[in-house]
Amino acid sequence: MADEVFDRSEFIAYFRDESEELLQQIDADLLRLEEFVQTGTPEPEIVNSLFRALHTVKGSSGMLGFVDVQTLAHKLENLCDLLRKDRMPLSEGSVDILFAGRDFLTDLVESAVNETPAPHGLGDYMGRLDQFAGIYEETSQVIEGKTGSEMEFDAASGQSDVSDDQIAAFEAEIERLLAQAGGAPPAAAPAVAEPAAPAPEIAASEPDAAVAGVVAAAAARRDEKAKDGSKRAAGQTIRVDIERLDTLLNLVGELVINRTRISDIASTLSRLMNDKAIAAPQALIGPLAKDLANSAAMLARTSNEIQESIMKVRMVPIGQVFDRFPRLVRDVAKARGKEVQLEISGAETDLDKTIVDEVGEPLMHLLRNCVDHGIEAPDVREARGKKRAGTIALNAFHEGNQIIIEVSDDGNGIDLERVRARGIKQGLIGADDKLTDRELIELIFTPGFSTAETVSDVSGRGVGMDVVKKNITRLKGVFDVDSIAGAGTKFTIKLPLTLAIIQALLVRVVDELYAIPLDSVIESQRVELPDVRTVHGNEVITLRGQVVPLLRIADFFELGGERDPEKVMIVIVGLQGRQVGLVVDGFQGEQEIVIKPLSVVVGRIPGISGATILGNGQISLIIDVHSLVSEAYASGDVARAEYSGV
Amino acid sequence: MAETGNDKQQFSGEKIKVVSFRLGTEEYGVDIAQAQEVIRMVEITHVPRAPRFMEGVINLRGQLIPIIDLRTRFGMPRIEKTKSSRIVVTDIGSKRVGIIVDSVSEVIDIPIENIEDAPEMIAGIGTEYIQGVGKVADRLIIMLDLTMVITTDERRDLELLDSQLTAST
Repeated sequence: MADEVFDRSEFIAYFRDESEELLQQIDADLLRLEEFVQTGTPEPEIVNSLFRALHTVKGSSGMLGFVDVQTLAHKLENLCDLLRKDRMPLSEGSVDILFAGRDFLTDLVESAVNETPAPHGLGDYMGRLDQFAGIYEETSQVIEGKTGSEMEFDAASGQSDVSDDQIAAFEAEIERLLAQAGGAPPAAAPAVAEPAAPAPEIAASEPDAAVAGVVAAAAARRDEKAKDGSKRAAGQTIRVDIERLDTLLNLVGELVINRTRISDIASTLSRLMNDKAIAAPQALIGPLAKDLANSAAMLARTSNEIQESIMKVRMVPIGQVFDRFPRLVRDVAKARGKEVQLEISGAETDLDKTIVDEVGEPLMHLLRNCVDHGIEAPDVREARGKKRAGTIALNAFHEGNQIIIEVSDDGNGIDLERVRARGIKQGLIGADDKLTDRELIELIFTPGFSTAETVSDVSGRGVGMDVVKKNITRLKGVFDVDSIAGAGTKFTIKLPLTLAIIQALLVRVVDELYAIPLDSVIESQRVELPDVRTVHGNEVITLRGQVVPLLRIADFFELGGERDPEKVMIVIVGLQGRQVGLVVDGFQGEQEIVIKPLSVVVGRIPGISGATILGNGQISLIIDVHSLVSEAYASGDVARAEYSGV
Repeated sequence: MAETGNDKQQFSGEKIKVVSFRLGTEEYGVDIAQAQEVIRMVEITHVPRAPRFMEGVINLRGQLIPIIDLRTRFGMPRIEKTKSSRIVVTDIGSKRVGIIVDSVSEVIDIPIENIEDAPEMIAGIGTEYIQGVGKVADRLIIMLDLTMVITTDERRDLELLDSQLTAST
């Protein structure tokens, strides 16, 4: 049967990807559209782009039989059509209802793909949408003199809720429309004047009051969804530049050529071995050996290039994450009564797909924080001689083997006095503690810390900064804050370009090889045993005047083995400002390694982040310096030398 | 009887192919659909602090495969690996896991009506690992539920440890 041949799931996956992109596009268009609210007439190109995107969503959802998606897309498309034909003015209300519609559309796509029930409140919204569109559809029909006499209005309801201002606004609207309709037959004029009484009802349903409810409901749903975490459907896909695939294909071509060459050598070799008639094979084997060496060299080169290319395939522009932030900043700013401009640069900067997926959430927290805590209220800003609208800059660029992402605002800066007061109140620091500015800033990374006076729905729940820091650290990144009181705050995130391949120091512990990521290694040392001293029974060494606690990996991993009676081999690793010496049994040099996760069956193991396969096929476990050291501290395996004042 | 723990079987008269292997004096079997390949013992990289039954990981053509020692898993005494020791590489869901067995016997057909539900207790192994017992001539083949074998459940591990302790005292 045809149904069995038609692989629906593939189309659905494609539909999901396509819709995701289109919805981003719709979001971007709506944001641009909003800039024209003041003038009331949008740039036609924006409306057209919006229209096209909605139209595509409608088409492909219809093809797959996702009726709800199709219906909503159709209604939104209609609304855009009204805008496009200038039958509906561009107002805050119309933009808001479009935004809310876009959110419902996102949820509907999700529920259609996952076959879950339609989002809550959809019927309500559709109703309002119809009502909203109805007003203008009818108004324009009136203007065109088509159905004026058929219009029926219930004059009794809603009258008391409507202010004179609103009525006046509506009448002005009609006048404007009339003026635009210019060429409409004169007969139409009385028809418009006639429904003077129904005007209040229309006015009541049109402006922000009706829309506000929808927007609030949509915001609440968004929060709910955020709580679910990033529940990503299995089978992630990635869009790849065709050029990158071509490069890969060429390289694979070379590989195939090389394979033929090597099997040729092998068969020649075996013929020589079996042919007893050949007395002096050396002369013949010589060139073969050379051939083989050449092939091996070529193989090495090609495989390196394939590795590089495949890494590039995994790279996607960070803009994929940035794209959703203008909307977020807009919503948060609106909710907090602030004026904020988001400036994005470096959206084309490439980054590994996994990191791009993971970095969104911490960035979202930072941006919310900037709007909520950083940027002052417009009046306050004016009083301080700043522009009413605050600026948040989101900037990404490459630096060496890293990507740097900066989030900065021109707001209040971190109020260190308030941080100190809060710290004292929460018992994090003593009232008389003398802390440097840097140490005070560090306080904001303490779990549960917040300087916000009231718990808002945006931030100030006391989660956030510590989570941000934790997420960044998990991605092997570094997180830094700079702040100037009254002038603004700058967050800097440094991330590795990829998590899959890293430089590592190979060390031997008892009879296994372990890999220590080079980014956390400061130096390696050979220390004579007399130089190792103890603090509270735990081993330490003194390194350039600093006391560095030692952690014997063999002991931590319970590997047994005998201790060297004369010396210790130490790898000094740095971790958030403190240093720890990892004691190993030998150094085996540096190497680029490909990280492979340990199977889920093995489970999470403190101190181990994965494994790699070395050139000779041997497996080496990769040490997770962060969890190793914190676990060792927690269990008291390492001296807290830096606090004991030795 | 056609009632078995194996949900794949619906029609009587059908047979299932089973890879059978030995563990001590007993014979076990896994559905061939779940057995990927059988390999000789290779060097196993120890993973510190992993669950006790987790012997380590091996490199199988560039893929990391965790290895479970079935003897440890079932609380049986560990023995030195011999020339006949094998690793049965299994595919359970999306998880690929190797299990160490004393030796692999053969692939046999077991008529599904010859498979019975597991009795309460077999040789000290909790019935949760057992799907049923197949009878072929005078042999008894214990059908393993691999999903349970690879499930790391601390509570069950503790119970297992407890039962071992009581057994040894």
